Amino acid sequence: MTEQQATATPIVDDTNHNAPTTAATAPAASPTATTPSGATATEPANDGAEHSPILTLDNVSYSYVKGGKKVIRDLSYSFESGRVYAITGPSGAGKTTVLSLLSGLTSPTEGRILYRGQDLAKTDRYRFRSHDIGVIFQSFNLLPSLSVEENIILSMDASGKQFDRPKHDIAVDLLAKVRLAQEYANERILHLSGGEQQRVAIARALSYDPDIIIADEPTGNLDMSTQDDIMAIFKDLAHQEGKCVIIVTHSPDVAEQSDEVFQLAALRKR
Amino acid sequence: MFIVKNAWRSVVRNKGRNILIVVIVAIIAAAATIGLSIRDAAQTARDEGLANTEVTATISLDRDKLISEAKQNGDSSSDSSNSGNGQPDFDAMRSALDQSSLSLADYQKYAKASSVNVTTYYSEETGVSATDNFQPVETSTSSNSSDSSSSATSSDSGDANGDQNQPGGQGGQGGPGGSMTQGDFTLTGFSSDKAIANARNGSFTMVDGKVFGYDSDSDGQAIISKSLAEFNNLSVGDTITVADPSDSSKTYTLTIVGIYKNSSSENTTASGPMGGTSQDAANAIYTSVSTLKSLGLDSDTTSSSDSSTSTQLNFTYVLGSKDDYETFSQDVKNAGLDDTYTVSSTDVEQYESSLVPLDNLAKFALTLLIIVLVVGAVVLIVINLFNIRERKYEVGVLTAIGVKKAKVAAQFAIELLIVTMIGIALGVAGGAAASVPVSNELLAQQISSQQSEAQSQQEQFGRSADMGGPNGGGQAPGSADSGSSSDSGNDSNESGDNAPGQPGGLAQATNYITTVNATVNFKVVAQMILIGLALTLFSALVGIISVIRYEPLQILADRS
Repeated sequence: MTEQQATATPIVDDTNHNAPTTAATAPAASPTATTPSGATATEPANDGAEHSPILTLDNVSYSYVKGGKKVIRDLSYSFESGRVYAITGPSGAGKTTVLSLLSGLTSPTEGRILYRGQDLAKTDRYRFRSHDIGVIFQSFNLLPSLSVEENIILSMDASGKQFDRPKHDIAVDLLAKVRLAQEYANERILHLSGGEQQRVAIARALSYDPDIIIADEPTGNLDMSTQDDIMAIFKDLAHQEGKCVIIVTHSPDVAEQSDEVFQLAALRKR
Repeated sequence: MFIVKNAWRSVVRNKGRNILIVVIVAIIAAAATIGLSIRDAAQTARDEGLANTEVTATISLDRDKLISEAKQNGDSSSDSSNSGNGQPDFDAMRSALDQSSLSLADYQKYAKASSVNVTTYYSEETGVSATDNFQPVETSTSSNSSDSSSSATSSDSGDANGDQNQPGGQGGQGGPGGSMTQGDFTLTGFSSDKAIANARNGSFTMVDGKVFGYDSDSDGQAIISKSLAEFNNLSVGDTITVADPSDSSKTYTLTIVGIYKNSSSENTTASGPMGGTSQDAANAIYTSVSTLKSLGLDSDTTSSSDSSTSTQLNFTYVLGSKDDYETFSQDVKNAGLDDTYTVSSTDVEQYESSLVPLDNLAKFALTLLIIVLVVGAVVLIVINLFNIRERKYEVGVLTAIGVKKAKVAAQFAIELLIVTMIGIALGVAGGAAASVPVSNELLAQQISSQQSEAQSQQEQFGRSADMGGPNGGGQAPGSADSGSSSDSGNDSNESGDNAPGQPGGLAQATNYITTVNATVNFKVVAQMILIGLALTLFSALVGIISVIRYEPLQILADRS
């Protein structure tokens, strides 16, 4: 486990954004965000360019109704490529809300969310969702009337990316990756079990090669061995392919296997 | 591009619902197609029916108006002298009526005033009496009935002739109030072949000899009916002598150049005892206006010479189309025709009344169209709304994975468009197959309701006179073709049946348009596609609005 990066130095990266925006965010990082090692989020660390934050929460607050009760308050955190993050916390701490914010499904009422230094509120969040981030929803959100392959290809189509191989081949490879037999490709989603659907949802999230994978309780419906399979996939994605993997979970096991844990405190206590 | 693929997949996947929509849309489209094609055909019939058909028009006196004007003048001018006894001022009225006669020159002036191309023909009709060696065809031997007819009764008959007995499209009242036909024979002068073709007694054929010419070289030539020739044992080349009805010493000699036979003699004896023998078609002597003039019997001479014999002038304008007729009416008004005269056309009137069932049908078609489209729009919107509510989750998922709302909405619109276009295609095909028989069936119903109305009027009156009944068609003499226009038969199907029938008898025949050519043409198909597109987009709009309202987070949160 290493400390979260909050660097003030200019970042040398191949991305097309400016580092100074992220630099300003670091000192204001939330004191509630702690790593399992006990290091605070504000602790500076500089492990190199590969640890530059890809997604940053910058003093984010959110309430469902304008001026209403805040579900989360002044949250700051930075996520880096090549690491697996676990977001944990008791019920009502705002885990799902943080996920929604990170995946660009909604905008914070206060503060900013930065993707590669760009304010998500000012960019095309549809493009962000379809192109840069893969979300594995708690309830999978697959289209039941479509087949497994159609669901996967739909996301690939929606991303607008060009693929160097036929989409069918990519889909079959992904199914193999999540350990589903090739016959599943033409199966309707409705005919699959919860665990199978979960794996299809993961395959879909990976299909268009996003920079960030966000998973909401990805192991909730799975037995222990499958859970380990899935976690192995996530760790591979982060450590081998350099993705940023963010997992929202209740499970201490999952948190244990993550590189970093982002603990959300229940709001009442604050 | 993938939204089109998705839309197509979605259409294929939801077969049941889409087949339902196709059926509904097809029914709507079929009904709308029939409605549109009926309206289209009715419009075509209206536009083309008299567009290239000659229309005859006459200028006639509006007696009611004239009398009421005379009354007003009389009331205002002679308050003290005359109104005291409450009697109408008969003299003033008679003189008003008398002054109102239009002369040949007047008629010709109006023809010149017209801005549209107008040809004219006219006939002059007067009465002449028998002489010893030339007797009228009649059943009773007393040939004096005409002499005994007072001016009052002959004036009545004049009225009757003018108002009801509009002879074959050439009305016109040259001799207002005066005695029109006295004597035993009707001597009619015609200005041209066309005038003869539209003779009051209907069309005729020559059995011997040929028709006289119209220039002064042919003066004195006349043709007589076959019955009259046989009755007097005359043949072509013989001469006949007739007398002035008011002065038997004054005789006129005519040479018979031809003998004709009326095509429809059965209708032309209908004037009853009042008319005398001169009203019998058999006793009609036809000659040219030039001959009448040379004999001093033309309308100008008789009206100026104050002779008791007056000649009635029937002046007819022939116009190229109904539009021309309307222009002509206006031009004539502008040229200073007193507003106690009206320009009228039996062709147009006939045509208008023949269009009544078709107009009713067109109105019905419009109602049908509106109802069908409104119901169709409502049904489509409801189905679409339910459809999209049902697919709220799909909208949520699609937007959550980053498909833009506009694309989702477009996908739904395309889905609906695919389905409705299939429905429209089927409906237009079905409507095209059904429109001709259905519209003719509907038209037949309209006609029969129109006819039963006429029927009930007949029952009320206890006779069949004066009501343009369905059986009037049989009475329309062949002059319809030769007279009004020979190309009326060439018109499209719908107007072929209504070449304005020219009634020979009392009844004014109305040949309703009995078939309507409601074939579906390209225009109707294009209209249908436009309507379908509009309906689809309109109902899709409702769906789009509900898509826009959804936030993906909200939908997904609802779900979990």
